[in-house]
Order: sequence, then C-alpha cells, then structure tokens
Amino acid sequence: MSNEGQTPDLTGDRGFRTVRESTYRYALAGCAVLSVLTTVSIIAVLVLDAADFFSVVPIAEFLGGTRFSPNLQPRSFGVLPLILGTLLITIGAAVIALPVGLLTAIYLSEYATQRTRSILKPMLEVLAGVPTVVYGYFAIVYITPALNVALDWLNSTLGLGLPNLGLFNGLSASIVVGIMIIPMVSSISEDAMSSVPDSLRQAGYGLGATKFNVSLRIVVPAAVSGIASSFILAISRAIGETMAVVLAAGSQPPDIPTVQSAFGIPYVAPGDLLGLYTESSATMTVAMIDIASGDISGGSTAYKSLFAIGLTLFVITLAMNVVSDVVASRYREEYE
Amino acid sequence: MATQTPTQETTEFGEVSRLKGIAFKYTSFAASIVGILALGVLLAYVFWDAFGLESAGTTWYLSYTVTLLVPLLAFFAYARTRPDVVAGAFELFSLTLGGVMLTVATVIVLSVIASPPVWFAYFLTVVGPAIGMYVYGQYNREATWVGLGILAAVVVGPVVGTLGLGTFSSLGAMLGAPGIYFLSLVLPGAGMAAFLAHDRLELSKRQSIGIGVGLPVLAIVGVPVVDMVPQIARSVWLIGLVMFGLPVGFTVVNTAQRRERWAAFAFPAIAILGFLLGEFVVGVVGATEPSPWLDWQYVTSGPSISNAAEAGLYPAIIGSVFLIVLVSVFTFVFGVGTAIYLEEYAPATGPLGTITRLVNVNISNLAGVPSVVYGLLGLGIFVNINAQLGPITYAGFGVGTVFTASLTLSLLILPIVVISAQEAIRSVPDSLRQASYGMGATRWQTIRNVVLPRSLPGILTGTILALGRAIGETAPLIMIGAATTKFSPPSGLFSKLTAMPMQIYAWAFQPSPDFRYGVVAAGVVTLLIVLLTMNSVAILVRNKYQQEAH
Amino acid sequence: MTTEDMATETEAQDEADEDSLISTDPGKGGLDENADRGGVTSGKTIIHSRDLDVFYGETQALQHIDLEIPENQVTAMIGPSGCGKSTFLRCINRMNDLIDIARVEGELSFKGKNVYDDDVDPVALRRRIGMVFQHPNPFPKSIYDNVAYGLRTQDKTDDMDAVIEESLKKAALWDEVKDRLDESALDLSGGQQQRLCIARAIAVDPEVVLMDEPASALDPIATSQIEDLIEELSEEYTVVIVTHNMQQAARISDKTAVFLTGGELVEFDDTDKIFENPDSQRVEDYITGKFG
Repeated sequence: MSNEGQTPDLTGDRGFRTVRESTYRYALAGCAVLSVLTTVSIIAVLVLDAADFFSVVPIAEFLGGTRFSPNLQPRSFGVLPLILGTLLITIGAAVIALPVGLLTAIYLSEYATQRTRSILKPMLEVLAGVPTVVYGYFAIVYITPALNVALDWLNSTLGLGLPNLGLFNGLSASIVVGIMIIPMVSSISEDAMSSVPDSLRQAGYGLGATKFNVSLRIVVPAAVSGIASSFILAISRAIGETMAVVLAAGSQPPDIPTVQSAFGIPYVAPGDLLGLYTESSATMTVAMIDIASGDISGGSTAYKSLFAIGLTLFVITLAMNVVSDVVASRYREEYE
Repeated sequence: MATQTPTQETTEFGEVSRLKGIAFKYTSFAASIVGILALGVLLAYVFWDAFGLESAGTTWYLSYTVTLLVPLLAFFAYARTRPDVVAGAFELFSLTLGGVMLTVATVIVLSVIASPPVWFAYFLTVVGPAIGMYVYGQYNREATWVGLGILAAVVVGPVVGTLGLGTFSSLGAMLGAPGIYFLSLVLPGAGMAAFLAHDRLELSKRQSIGIGVGLPVLAIVGVPVVDMVPQIARSVWLIGLVMFGLPVGFTVVNTAQRRERWAAFAFPAIAILGFLLGEFVVGVVGATEPSPWLDWQYVTSGPSISNAAEAGLYPAIIGSVFLIVLVSVFTFVFGVGTAIYLEEYAPATGPLGTITRLVNVNISNLAGVPSVVYGLLGLGIFVNINAQLGPITYAGFGVGTVFTASLTLSLLILPIVVISAQEAIRSVPDSLRQASYGMGATRWQTIRNVVLPRSLPGILTGTILALGRAIGETAPLIMIGAATTKFSPPSGLFSKLTAMPMQIYAWAFQPSPDFRYGVVAAGVVTLLIVLLTMNSVAILVRNKYQQEAH
Repeated sequence: MTTEDMATETEAQDEADEDSLISTDPGKGGLDENADRGGVTSGKTIIHSRDLDVFYGETQALQHIDLEIPENQVTAMIGPSGCGKSTFLRCINRMNDLIDIARVEGELSFKGKNVYDDDVDPVALRRRIGMVFQHPNPFPKSIYDNVAYGLRTQDKTDDMDAVIEESLKKAALWDEVKDRLDESALDLSGGQQQRLCIARAIAVDPEVVLMDEPASALDPIATSQIEDLIEELSEEYTVVIVTHNMQQAARISDKTAVFLTGGELVEFDDTDKIFENPDSQRVEDYITGKFG
C-alpha cells in the first residue's frame, strides 16, 4: 500500500534464499540418485562378471550341466542341481506357507474380531522379523532331531519303512522357510480381501449364503489377483532365502533323480523325489555362500561363477517381483 | 441338521448345515496360530538352553514360580482390561531396555571403538558446534543460517577434527576420560533433560532448571559412591547416568504424572522384588541353580573354538554395534533424503513424472532383491575393484572390513527405509503444506517446519525396524568376506569385523553339544534380545505418534 | 526439475509472443471501463486479469477471464461447484503452481505487474498476497507459533510479540486466547481455528487476503463471526473471497463475480446490482435458484 501506483517488485530475495533452496534441492536429488545407482551397479557387477565367467564356461554348459562342483576336480559348473535344490526347498516351503497363509488371511479378514486381529497381526509379523540365521539354527538343532523322533515313532507304530533324515536335509529347511514366509502371504492377501467392498458380501448374505460360502465363494475369488500376487512374492522370497537353507539344507546339491520310462513316457518315481528331502539339498544361494566362504579373492572360475549364479537368481526374483506387481495392480484397479 | 423341529405350529425355516462352516472357522484359526506356536516352542527351547535351565532343581523352579511368575501373571491378568496400565508398563519396559542398550552401545562406541580423547576431538569439531547451533536456532528463530551452519559443521567438522586430531586429543587426554564425558555428555544431557522436563513433561520452569542443574551435580556427587564399586568405572557411571538415566527418568515421571497409569509401576516392582526375593529364597533353601550359558563371562570374552565354557560373543557384539551405528547414519541421511525428494520435489506428472514413477518402482523392486545378491554387489564394488580415475585409484574398502560391511548393509536396507519414510511423509495432510506455501514459505521451509516434524516419528519407526533387519543379516557379510570367527573386536573403520549373526553361523556347525545347544543358543538369545528392544522402542514411537496425530 | 520450474518454463514459452503486446500499465484501461459500468468508484484496481485461461491437463478450467479487483474492498466470487472460482483465486497467488498439471495462459497482474512473468518469484508474491483455506488448517504447534510461522519464514521477527498480539486482536481472537498462547492450536474450536488462520495470514501484513470458502466448514455462529471479521478487514486489506453461499456474498461483499459452469466469468459488477438486477439471464437464473 505504500508504493501505490508503482509496479511492485516481486522478484523476491534471489540471493541467500535461492542458494539455500537449491543447495537442499540438489543434495536431496543426489540422495535419490543413489537408489538408481544401486540398481545400475547391481546389474553392471552381475552382468560384467558373469560375462567373464561365460567366456570360460559356455552358457549351455552352465544352464544344461547336471553336476555342480566348483572346487573339486574335475570342476564342473552345471547349475541344474542347484536349481533342483532351490525348487525342492521352494516347493516344500510353498506347500506349508501358501495354504496356511491363505487360511490365516481369510480368518483375519472375515472371522477375527478387531481385538484378535490387533493381537495376531503383529505376532505374525514377528515370524518375518526373526533373523534367518536363527531359523537355520532352529532347523538344525531342534527341528531335524524332532522330525527324526517322529519318523521313528511312525515306523515303529505303523510298521513303515520311512528313511531317517540326514544331519542336513531339505525337509527341515523347507519347514523353516515356510514358517518365515507365512506373514508375507497372509498380510498381502488380507489387504486384498479387506479391500473387497462390503456390498459384495452383503449381496451374498442377502441370497442366503453362509459366512463360509461368502468367504470362499465371494471374497476369495474377488481378491484372487491380490492373493496370487502374495503367492508369487512369497515364493520369490523363498527362492532368495539364504541363511536358513545354508544351515539346514547343507552344501551338497541334490542328485538329479534318474528318469525312468514307462510306455515311452519319461517320469521320475515320486518316492525318489520325496526321498530327496531327506538329504542335503543345496540351493543356488547356498552354493554362493559356499564359494564365497572359500575364495573371494577374485580371478578364479569358481569366483566368477558366483556372479553367474547371482545373475540367474536376480533375474528369477526380479521377474517374479515384476509379475507380482502387475498382478497386484489389477486388483487395485478393480476396487480402489 | 434340520431334524429337530420343536413344534409343528412354528414356521419352518429349516436349518442350513453349519458344520462345514464351523470346521472351516476353526481350521483357519488354527492356521493363523500354527506358525506363531511353532516359533513360540522353538523360542522356549532356545531360552531354556541359553539359560541352562535344565540343570536347575525343582525347588528352584518352585521358588521362582511363587516369587516371580505368579505375581507377574497376576499383574498381566489385572492389566488385561486396562489399556492405560498396559501402555504405561510397556513404556517402562521398552525405555528401560532401550536405556540399557543405549548405554552399552555408547560405552562401546566411545571407549572401545574410539578412545575418549579421539571422541573429544570430534565432539569439539563436529558434535559440539552442531548441537550449539541447533540450540541457538531454537532460541533465536531469526537466525536462518542455522540449518546450513549445521550442515557445514557435519561436512567440514570431520575434516578439521581429523587434521587437528593430535592437538584436540592431547587436550582431551589432559582432561581424562571422566572429564571428557562430563563435558561432552553430562552437560548436554542436562540441557536435554531440562528441555524435556519443561516441554514434554510440562514441569514448571523452576523444576526444569532444578533437573538441569541436578544432573551434573548428581554426576559429581555419585563419583565417590561409584568408586567404592570396583566393577563400575567412572566413565561408565557418567555414560549410564545420561544414556540410561534420561530415558528411564523420563518414563518414570511421565507415568507418575498420570494417575490412571500408576498401577504400571507394579510391573517393574514385581519383576525386581520377585527376582531378589527368589534369589533370597533359593539361597536359603539351597536349591540347585541353573548354569546359564548367557552370562557376564559370555558377553565379555572372545569366541573360543575349543572350550565352550570360555566362549563368548564380545568381538561380535562390538562388531554389530559398529555396524548398526554406521548403517543408521548412512540409511537415515540417504533414505530420508531420497524420500523427501521423491515426495516433495520430484514431479508426479508429465514426462519427468514417468521418471519419478520408474524410480519408485525401482526402489520397491530393490526391496525384493535377495540379500545374497547385495553381498555380490558389495563384493563387486567395495571389495574386488580396481578403478583408475585420473590420479585417484579406487581399490575398494577392503575384504570384510567394517566400512565395506556397513556400506553393503546400508544399500540392502535403504529401499525399506525409503519406502517407510515415503509413507510417513505422504501421511502429512496436504492442507498443512498449502497453509505453509500460502504464507509465503519456500519449499524447504515447508519441509523443514511442517512436513518433517509431523512425519519424523513415522520415519524413525521405519528406520529402527529396518535396522533390526540389518543387524540380523548374515549372507551379505559372508559374501564380502567378513570373518566368521574373530578373537578381537574391530579397531577402526578399515579393520576386519565379525557380527553376532556371523558368529552364530560359525558356531552352528560345531559338533560338540555344548556348542550346539549352549553357546549358540546364548548367541541367538542375545541377538533376539537386541531385536526385541529395537522393535519395542519402534512400536513405542509409533504408538506415541498415533496418539498425537489424533 | 520440479513442478515450479516446469510451470514457469511452459508459461514462458506460451507467453513469449504475447509479452510484447501487453502494456506495462494495464490498470488504467480497466479503471475507465469500471467507471463506465457506473459502479464503484472508490476502489483503485489492485488485481487485474486479462484473457486468463487455466488448464488442468487437457481440461480447461477457466476461459478468458477479464476481471478487475478493487483495492480495499471485499470482492466475492460465487458460482456452482466446479465453475472455476477457486481456481481463479489460486491463480492470484500462484498456488496453482503446486499442481503439476495446471497451466496458466494470459495475464494476471498485481499492481500492474504480471505475476506470471519470468522474474516473479511465487514465494515473494505469496508474501504479499495471503490466503485462508476452506478447512481451518492450523499447524500442530502452539497458538503463538502458528501466528509466528509466517513472520519467522519471512524473517520479520522484530517486535514479534507485539505483531502477534495485534494480529490476534484484528482477528477478534485475542481475548479468547491471550492466556493460553502456549497451548496447541488444535485444541481450539473450528471457528477459533479459522480465525487463527486469518490472524496467521494477516500477521505478515499482506496487501491482499484470499479466502477460499472460509466459513463453509463452520457452524452458523462461527460463520457470522468470520463474516464480521471480513468486513472489518476490508478497511485495511483487499479481500477476495470465494463462497458457495449467495447470502454470504450479498452480506459482506462490495463487488461480486459470478462464474458459471465451464470456467466462464458471466458477470462482474457491484454486489447490489448482481443480486437485484443482473444483466445476464443466466446469472438471474442462478441467483434465483433455477439451476446450479
């Protein structure tokens, strides 16, 4: 009001304030660049060193080889046994975690009272918060002996001829990995089920459906993409799980079972497959730990194979995460 | 089933079979608790082993059941329906544990990792000026240079401190360790206490000043008393007074101020009295006591590989504290910085918005990369690298060193910190930002004065939880070549380290049952107690925040 | 690059060819025109928009707005929801810069200076044009700190206690809060919070106070307090108020602008004229409640 008639100066104090503002802006942008750099470095490190490895060991030999022996002569870098080991542990864990996690999610979202939910949910999160090395320790010192006692009891009371578990075995590793990924399945699935609109449930009740029917026939199908996304994420987590498996499953890759043939159709005896769970079942992650605890000075083929296995693992888990994201975004579009 | 119809007159709706539904309900309930129960049993076993409870006699169990367990259960039964008492007891519990942990960590950082004179040098050049400027900024709001000044102190201070290390630390050596801690911890702590008393506990000005003056006086008066106890050094007394005394004093006064929470004091009272009474009874009756693996000897000695009775976790504990301090600094600065940039600066629409979205997707995918791959990253760019940039040769930070390990773990948890900080920042109502911009505040002023104060508790909770993840990680440490067994703690940023989970991993393959069921169990329990403390402090912060937000 | 940079850049391109056409002193013509309409003569134009268009992405929110807001008077903007009245208000102090997809074309001058010129710092602009929002949005700080916020960000900390007391008095809140300035602003009632927001806005001594439906979230008593306050404020400040409440506009404003759907300014004149004898049939229909 004092400078009536004059054009006001709105240029602001372009000195100190601008310096301060842009200092903070660029400093913060620099922080954000770090996450991009991390990704770039991961990919660069993996790809460059893996390329080095593949110049010594052909890709076909790596992906198609059936023997993995990086340190013992004759060296051999076939990744198939490790993939089989990973599959065994992952399937075993999924068999435990997917149904349990899904049922948990249904219970939490449809049946539990507010109070029960407020107690159960944080307790479930604890399952994912315990360090994985602790789970590995539990498997090796408590679960394996307990399972052996149980197997002995079954054998003696039912007269079965089940084999005992080795010191390192795939079964106990599957169990602990399964336990630790339960919350991953349950929390994401529950989110998906909670976001199913109540009007759908009421429509069901209006038609005379029971709570059981509404839960299984209406809520679960409506939340199916969220549930699928949680399954994929949990499986990807199991594939990448390291320490629990290192301790529980041992460092020996499983033997690839002999393929039999009946009427020209190749098959593997189910007993042979299940038998693999009683023995050591090294996964890709275990092989990496095994190599790294021996030789990380660089240069040797075994060292370089680390990055080839790492790249395989990275590609698999990244692909699963992306697929899970895409699937999850579908349910978000539907109901949000 | 629809077979029993009481009378013919009533309209018959029939009955739909509920059997399947009820069976399903209980099956799903069983599924929700099976994992928790399994973990509970395993934890019970490992505690049992770690504390050697097997060797305790029946009378020992009886005594403690009567003196400790039953009163505690009675307290829980009483508190079940009283949320105020639960909240009070939880605050007392987590801040006491947190105070112990903070004291241990500070003692380790200040007197084991850095020597007191070295700490004094950096206190003079970095911490002191930063605190001083912050306090001045609170007192004189006109001083707009304070933010940049603190930034400068944090960036330039270490350089000055390192250059003048000799001079400053000889100055510190003249003071002696207790003198250093009195100047650098007790006096700032006194200011902090007075501020908390006045601002948070709403005590009167006179009382607050009394507390501020009382703390240093207590520190000095306590010295002769402490000198009579040979186990407690003067330095430990001073550090403990600040790091344990402040949080515990705060929660005690905070609980005492609210009548409805008074009953919460019964919890620590029952725990302490019950324990002392139990000790007394056991001594009188002469019951066989347990022989715990987890004891003072365990946390203060090195990891013997042949003799289980002499084995300890000391170097690993120091290594873990080292890691957690560095990782928390790296991830807090970069994690919060990234989150602020993405939420407050980065454009959300247009072609640049696409880049922002890609960065966000990238971060969430980084959170899903297996930790062992981060180990490879650390191996590739911090260990086995040889890059020549003009005159500068970058050859990494060494195999399995403290610095390599903390950088690797920082990168590992950074995405988690960023995501939780983003959520906290997003939860600040937009109307507050608008109000600030409408008053002619700049972007940074709005962030600094409106967004950050409001989102800080959420950011802290997320960061502490992520640090919990870092402290339990093993695979990346193995990949970068951290030592499995190390007999002395790391002495500097570039010395090799081991950490608690590494030591557990190394011991778990020991064939002797003493190791398998004793020493390792004790290590697992130590690690779990640290995690429990961190998580309960994080939950406490979150609960406080939720109360204030409503 | 941030939203603000982007906004300024796109505008710069859009306006590059227009710049030469626009005279540096657009106020005069507006005044004459204003006088022709035979309305208010007491006010000198302080804000003048010429051919102002606003787009949100592809949608046009305002169309060719020509408007002159007189100094030290209350100007009301009314219209159905979605008509662009709030958008216009936010153009005046460039709050629309904070929305990524918003794009402004044309000219809007404050005391003869186009606020969308390249050399205008929106932060400096907002320090002279204060704003009060629809929902009371005090900071979760003490009452004192809320009023002090703007003073501190603008480094106007001389004699702060006196300035704060003065602003709270002007906002008719002093007597209610003088004994509890240290208490949290969130403990105040809704009406008190809104008066605090007004005190906060005028503490930094702006020339214009923009109000975006300031009473819509309040009860009738609090509303009438705010209305009294607005009338008093107009002695010292230029007040521009957006409201969906026609009675309110009629009660407190000197001039009224009617926006109708599509972001079009249909009529702008003395409030009495608008409410008694509008030129436009559409405005009459709107005011008599036939639509909108």
